[in-house]
Amino acid sequence: MTVVLDRPQAPPRLNRVRRRWAWGLGALAVLGWSLAGAGAFAGDVVNPAGAGQFGRFASAALSPALDGEFLRVLADSVLVTVAYAALGAALAVLLGAVGAVAVARTTWGRRRLGWTLSRGALAVPRGLHEAVWGLLLVNLLGLDPWVGVLAIGVPYGAVTAKVFADLLDEVPRGGYEALLAGGAGRVPAALYGLLPPASGGLLSYSFYRLECAVRSAVVLGLIGAGGLGYQLLLSFSSLRWEQVWSCVYALALLCLLADVGGRAVRRRVAAPRSSGDRLRRDPMLSTAVLGTLAAIVWAWWYLAISPATLVADRTGEQLRYVLSAAWPPDVDGPLLSAVAVAAVDTLQMSVIAIAVATAGAVLLAGVAAHPPRDAPVLRRVTGSAVRLALLLLRAVPPPVWALVLLFVLLPGVLPGALALGVYTLGVLGRLAAEATEELDPRPRAALTAMGARPVGGWLYGVLPAATGPVLAFALYRWEVAIRDTVLVGLLGAGGLGALLASRVSAFDWGAVTTVLVAVIALTAAVDLVSARARAALR
Amino acid sequence: MALVGPSGAGKSTLLGLVNGSVPPTAGTVEVLGTDPTTLRGRSQRELRARVGTVHQHLELVGQLRVVHNVNAGRLSHWPAWRAAWSLVRPQGLPEVLAALEQVGLADRVFERTERLSGGQRQRVALARLLVKQPELVLADEPASALDPVLAERALALLAGLAADRGGALVASLHDPALALRHCTRVVGLVEGRVVLDAPAAALTVGDLADFYGAPR
Repeated sequence: MTVVLDRPQAPPRLNRVRRRWAWGLGALAVLGWSLAGAGAFAGDVVNPAGAGQFGRFASAALSPALDGEFLRVLADSVLVTVAYAALGAALAVLLGAVGAVAVARTTWGRRRLGWTLSRGALAVPRGLHEAVWGLLLVNLLGLDPWVGVLAIGVPYGAVTAKVFADLLDEVPRGGYEALLAGGAGRVPAALYGLLPPASGGLLSYSFYRLECAVRSAVVLGLIGAGGLGYQLLLSFSSLRWEQVWSCVYALALLCLLADVGGRAVRRRVAAPRSSGDRLRRDPMLSTAVLGTLAAIVWAWWYLAISPATLVADRTGEQLRYVLSAAWPPDVDGPLLSAVAVAAVDTLQMSVIAIAVATAGAVLLAGVAAHPPRDAPVLRRVTGSAVRLALLLLRAVPPPVWALVLLFVLLPGVLPGALALGVYTLGVLGRLAAEATEELDPRPRAALTAMGARPVGGWLYGVLPAATGPVLAFALYRWEVAIRDTVLVGLLGAGGLGALLASRVSAFDWGAVTTVLVAVIALTAAVDLVSARARAALR
Repeated sequence: MALVGPSGAGKSTLLGLVNGSVPPTAGTVEVLGTDPTTLRGRSQRELRARVGTVHQHLELVGQLRVVHNVNAGRLSHWPAWRAAWSLVRPQGLPEVLAALEQVGLADRVFERTERLSGGQRQRVALARLLVKQPELVLADEPASALDPVLAERALALLAGLAADRGGALVASLHDPALALRHCTRVVGLVEGRVVLDAPAAALTVGDLADFYGAPR
């Protein structure tokens, strides 16, 4: 049979997608610039004298402190951390629910200006790390448990408000509009037509926030709010490595429990059980919700929180004083140039961190993914070991990794960047492994059946399909990393965080405002670039 | 050889047993003179390099360009570095273009595979086998998404490919006419058992239609 079509004489040319190539080359250039800026090519970065100390630290991993007295202290710290997390998350969900109404498109309808302004207002609490809030609140309220609760609740509340509003706005409008057309008021119509379809997503996200709050409560401990983070730092600065490792294991266990519990709840919300003809609630979800409510009440009692602090005269006076001193912001030359230098450092740290994490995640994703049931024992054992290692990496807050790296690296931007990279690898590695698990296994199986080597099968069957989702995760984590860079800086690794800490401790409130504006502007810029890059990936 | 049988009869499982992707639960398999279940590592890959399977285009990677999906047929011959470099600078382009020319897709060589229609992807899967040059060709419904003219052409290509290397074509087919025109032997499966094994010349389209339980 003859199929005659007029085909082009010359073979078609290979056209690269310009936009993606531009993004890729741009990213490489920025990475090179960041490495050069951090002094990675400038010779001395390693401190050989610290190897002995590092060895003692590492070998203590096998002999964590388990004496009764320390375990009691540890248990107390865990309870404090959990209490902060529960109250912080509760406040966040409360603020989020109120805020969501204020920023939902449904509320504003066609009034775009109001909607845009209300969304913009959220960028301020969202752009500042919980630790920055903690630092500012300590100066207003003194050493009060409210500092920890508000430091988690305020920024989380802003994020939650945005996500809740998006969830409500994404609900199909049919039911809601039918109710409105039938004469129902806006509030009842929303209760019957919008809330039920969104409730699964809202509940899931609330529990996800609770998981995140556990990590944040640990970080707040590092800046003095008590709990596990505080205990970790105490043991670290008194060079008691066995105790440090006990803290690390307790942290990992706590994070694991939060992960597993939160994921179980979210999975159940996503696939509810049928209840048949009787009105029956899912016992597991009811237990989770009631248990969380009980935990909140307990935390209130345990931390001995009193609302009186918030309305005390002293608090009001302090707030008035700080606000009057903080406005107008300082704009003198030396400060602005210091802010610019610190902003560049912060940006370079975040870029190096995310590059390290992405490279590691890509290498480990295949091993960390859950293997099929019939996989050989060795494969399953290495898989579990890598997953455990990733859990440890993300359980330890980045500032602690920075302290560990300072044993073997000379002080500067690089240890901070690598610490953040190691921590982000813990998160990104798991996300990349999950992305790999969700891939269609057939293309790779077909390549193996045709005799391809494992490397070939991976290059042709897994890599092309996994690149998109993994890069998208990496860009999203970059947005988180730029906020965490400020945290690492607060504890001394340089950049905007270090500048902020020094200005706050000098009570130079005008300069603090300037630095805060720079932090918010930088995070907003990174969010924008990341969103653009993700759009180019799609 | 044509494999026929109702859906769920075990046609795909039989093909999987032959190419080694499904381990047998009982009995032994002999492929090109060896038992694939006894082989490991290098010798296993060498046997697999001589067997080529085409599924219903489900084995293609949508995010890759067509040229890479075709070149994936040569991964059994290429060292790892060459496979990696080819993703940057496509290797062996003339053979790829020749193969795509045979299935009528040469002008789409640099298209992303997910942009192609089902029938076009099925032809990309055929082109992958054409560059692989296997001795034993296994085909699982190779013509299901193709129009009659292209289906004829596809089966002719597969049969020719097997004949070139002195090997055989085993194809599961649901079109009786196609099975009789391109195959010399017809094996019918029902619920995992062989119920029909006859030379094609002894059968008519009507016999096979009966076999499927379809009205004449």
